[in-house]
Amino acid sequence: MSTLASFVVAAVTILSVCLLLSRRGGRRDFDREGFGTGQETSLPGGSDSLTSELSARIFDPEDLNFVASEASRQLTRQFRRERTTLALDWLRAVRGQVNQLIRAHLKASRGNPDFKAADEIRLGFEFLLFQLTSGILYLAIWAFGPPRAAKLVGYSLELAGQLRKVTKDVLPAGHQVAVEIMDSKQEPQS
Amino acid sequence: MHGELKHEDVEAARRDLADRTLAKIRGDLARLIYLASMRDYNTGEYHHEGLACRFGESVAGRAIASCHGDAFSRLVLCSVKKLVEELELYVDSNCSKVSELVRVWEKLQPYRIAVPLECSPVVARFFASNIRAALAILQSRQLRARREELSALPGP
Repeated sequence: MSTLASFVVAAVTILSVCLLLSRRGGRRDFDREGFGTGQETSLPGGSDSLTSELSARIFDPEDLNFVASEASRQLTRQFRRERTTLALDWLRAVRGQVNQLIRAHLKASRGNPDFKAADEIRLGFEFLLFQLTSGILYLAIWAFGPPRAAKLVGYSLELAGQLRKVTKDVLPAGHQVAVEIMDSKQEPQS
Repeated sequence: MHGELKHEDVEAARRDLADRTLAKIRGDLARLIYLASMRDYNTGEYHHEGLACRFGESVAGRAIASCHGDAFSRLVLCSVKKLVEELELYVDSNCSKVSELVRVWEKLQPYRIAVPLECSPVVARFFASNIRAALAILQSRQLRARREELSALPGP
């Protein structure tokens, strides 16, 4: 019982910290970079394949090792800091898209006659698992840097892709709404 | 408007651009800078006189945009090590000096405007970060070489 309680406390703490970090980071991003439409990345299976492929490069230790062997310690530290920030931005964008997908799904499922409670619970569980995994990944990147957190990335992306598939399977209409919302975000904001 | 364009026409224009022009440019970085220079800063549209005469303005623009995107993708996904080699090739083919290129690029940061329009901010920042690192490595290599040259000289 006490093990379960400590697990729940740990999970809630991790989720809270991640939520706090991602919100704070989101504001910082807005202040730092003035360009872009907010369409930062795509979920696996999405249209922006370049951003999906980028995750492999961001988390690859090859570049960091090369910079460390060729440049000064100061530059290596700066490069490591930049990679960490980029990895966190990338993860924040993936989380943002998943959240948007779930919100769109909930909106579409309200009042839908094909609503199945079991499927919704399954989706809710997958979503919670994704939040937990990406939360741990966020902390791992923040604490140890992208190369050491690389193993968790694949798992988080797999879960994000699974969520996309589940929202499509459970409620095709919901997926359509989600896709429409995601597509409309790509258009320049006036 | 782009939706009305025929895929085959754009492909033909792409091939023409690749064979006649891009093949003669050494390195993807040089190709990227060249392709980005054909873009209007205000409209984001690409212009190439010869290509437009042969295929029409819209098809030519679409073909250049596609080649630009391809060159950028290759550079974004390559390692910093490869990027340093690309920079060396760029310096070599432009007959300029490394120190001069590093000085100007650090100030003007032309690689920022070489990014395709539809590129996401994370990808653009990643590219800029890699180019900055590659420039710094190029500079430190040059300084090291100069130091070695000086130390090899016979003392007074």
